[in-house]
Amino acid sequence: MEKEPEKIIELVNVKKIYRMGNEKIYAVDDVSFDIKKGEFCCLLGTSGSGKSTLLNLMAGIEKITSGKILVKGKNIPKMSENSLARFRQRYLGFVFQSYNLINAMTALENVEFPLVFKRVPVKRRRKLAKDMLVKVGLGSRLAHKPKEMSGGQQQRVGIARAFVAKPEIVFADEPTGNLDTKTTIEVMELMKQMAKENQQTIVMVTHDRSLAAYADKVIHILDGKIQSVEVFERNEEDMQVQLKEVSQKLLLDRGSDRKEINYEETN
Amino acid sequence: MRISDLLKLAFRNLMRRKARTALTVIGVVIGTISIVVMVSIGIGVNKSYDEMIMQSGSMTIIRVQKYGAIFDDDGNYVDSKEQVLNDSVVEQIKGIDHVKAVSGIVNKGVMLNSGKYETWVTLYAMDCDVFEAFEFPPLQYGSYPTKENPSTIVVSPESMAYFYNYSGNNYQEKSIDPLTEEVILKFQEYQTHPRKKEFELEFKDVAMMEQTDNWEYSYNIYMDLGYFKEIWNSYANTLILEDRKSAVASLDSYEEIKINVDNIDHVEEVQEKIEELGYATYSEMQYLQPLRETSDMLQMVLGAIGSIAMIVSAINIANTMVMSIYERTKEIGVMKVLGCLVRDIKRQFLLEAGLIGLLGGVVGILISYILSHFINKYGTGIMSSLVGTGTTGDLSIIPFWLPFAAAAFGMLVGLLSGYFPARRATRIRAIEAMKTEG
Repeated sequence: MEKEPEKIIELVNVKKIYRMGNEKIYAVDDVSFDIKKGEFCCLLGTSGSGKSTLLNLMAGIEKITSGKILVKGKNIPKMSENSLARFRQRYLGFVFQSYNLINAMTALENVEFPLVFKRVPVKRRRKLAKDMLVKVGLGSRLAHKPKEMSGGQQQRVGIARAFVAKPEIVFADEPTGNLDTKTTIEVMELMKQMAKENQQTIVMVTHDRSLAAYADKVIHILDGKIQSVEVFERNEEDMQVQLKEVSQKLLLDRGSDRKEINYEETN
Repeated sequence: MRISDLLKLAFRNLMRRKARTALTVIGVVIGTISIVVMVSIGIGVNKSYDEMIMQSGSMTIIRVQKYGAIFDDDGNYVDSKEQVLNDSVVEQIKGIDHVKAVSGIVNKGVMLNSGKYETWVTLYAMDCDVFEAFEFPPLQYGSYPTKENPSTIVVSPESMAYFYNYSGNNYQEKSIDPLTEEVILKFQEYQTHPRKKEFELEFKDVAMMEQTDNWEYSYNIYMDLGYFKEIWNSYANTLILEDRKSAVASLDSYEEIKINVDNIDHVEEVQEKIEELGYATYSEMQYLQPLRETSDMLQMVLGAIGSIAMIVSAINIANTMVMSIYERTKEIGVMKVLGCLVRDIKRQFLLEAGLIGLLGGVVGILISYILSHFINKYGTGIMSSLVGTGTTGDLSIIPFWLPFAAAAFGMLVGLLSGYFPARRATRIRAIEAMKTEG
């Protein structure tokens, strides 16, 4: 490594406690870690482990109970709703498990949407959105509504929407949770490749162990606590080889696993 | 977000639920129509009342008459009293604030002769200075008397229009033109001294008023008070001694004192001050006031009826907006996560509600114009017998400001009824919103 990359996300003693009647539930219990710029970080854990809550806390969607979350040096929990919105416009992108596309809008309009909030002029944002959709391989689907597309296509629209404003950080919450294995690989590679092009940081939440292979850093979470942190130092070549192996393994193994995991997830 | 984007989005959201939007707009249309038509009828009725009052005389005039009426507390006539109106009273009234012009007025029944034809008219004599202040009608020819030229006699067209030959068999009326035909004025109050020649005044310098709707001036002739005193004295000289004394004495008091107030709003005030001096007064305003109150009341009732429909349509808009926020909860959540400012979410919903209001307002106004046209064409007869104005003017009058006011009102109703739903939308928490189906 020539130079130590800066810390783009830093969590210090983060706690999130839900109250259910008289009972306290520690969804996130005293978690501290940091993520470096350009890193692909995976939060791995079973359903109910608090990994999604952690992601929502980092994105400022959920309120924190105590602790500090610094994203690009800003303490997210202390920000006002307005400045948080502007912060999201500028620095954050989101990919969701259920895509969360707006059904009344075409693919192009959906990808354009974050740019509308940023007051980007019509012509420019249309071009940006179109280029993005071409990049994710949906150049021929610009005018299609989400309901007219397959899950994989919808998620690619979702990815295009997340990356169109060139955010520094992309949060992905189970991005492949609703997709079959083949599409999962496509989507993962797409995200990885996009992030690499612009040195973007990805924080992905998943329950799927095999997807961890795409990450530079895997944080295992159990019952709201960090169990272990794995950091993979890979060079380019290693990476390619490894990924190929992973893809193969995914394709071979996952048929049976998948159902089990899905079952677990719906519980 | 840019305004253009907000507008586009609002339009698109309205178009997404065409039937619901259309129904809500129709609600506003009905509300607007009921307000515009009701207010226009109120204005129409008010105007016909005003016209009726205008016909009966100038509204800033107060009269103090020799036989003042006495009213009880409920405003009913109970008796009259004789009051002495002389120059000192005129001077006292002159001293009251807001009084523009005052004059004592003498009136005498006089006979006009033109050859075989004769007619009876009333002669009014007043200060030549006050003709203008009392808003006398313009003249067809001649000019009102002045200090330099006090001998002009002003006649109304009607006073010259009905001359009769009483010695003839058929009482056919004849119109006399005082410019070309000889007219002679005679007083008839006292018997002429048997050995003296009857007093006669030939019309030499005549001015003719224009025809007016105001029947106050019909059958009257006017002259300057000073000039009148002159001729009255020469008339008195033709009488027997006793009559002469009483005739001259009658000049000391007036039949009436007429006051012009500078502004309609001060009429009541001045009237009260004169009453404080101990004189009974009379003004058109007295009669106008209850009439105006009635018609204002009518206008309020009509407006209130119209407003009910508008309130219902406001509730309708609010309902539509609440529904559409429920439907779009997830969308709102996504927008928030993607970095949409709360302000923009609020604006978007307000804009949708405002557009519904504006659209309904504009369509409602167009239909109101059509309705107003038909009301005036077919409804005037029926309604005027109902309201009892008896005029044939337009029943429904839409003044130029009403459509703008109605459109603005429609939009305001939309915005107001959209405000609370919009605020509710901004309070939706992104995390829960995204979990909802939609």
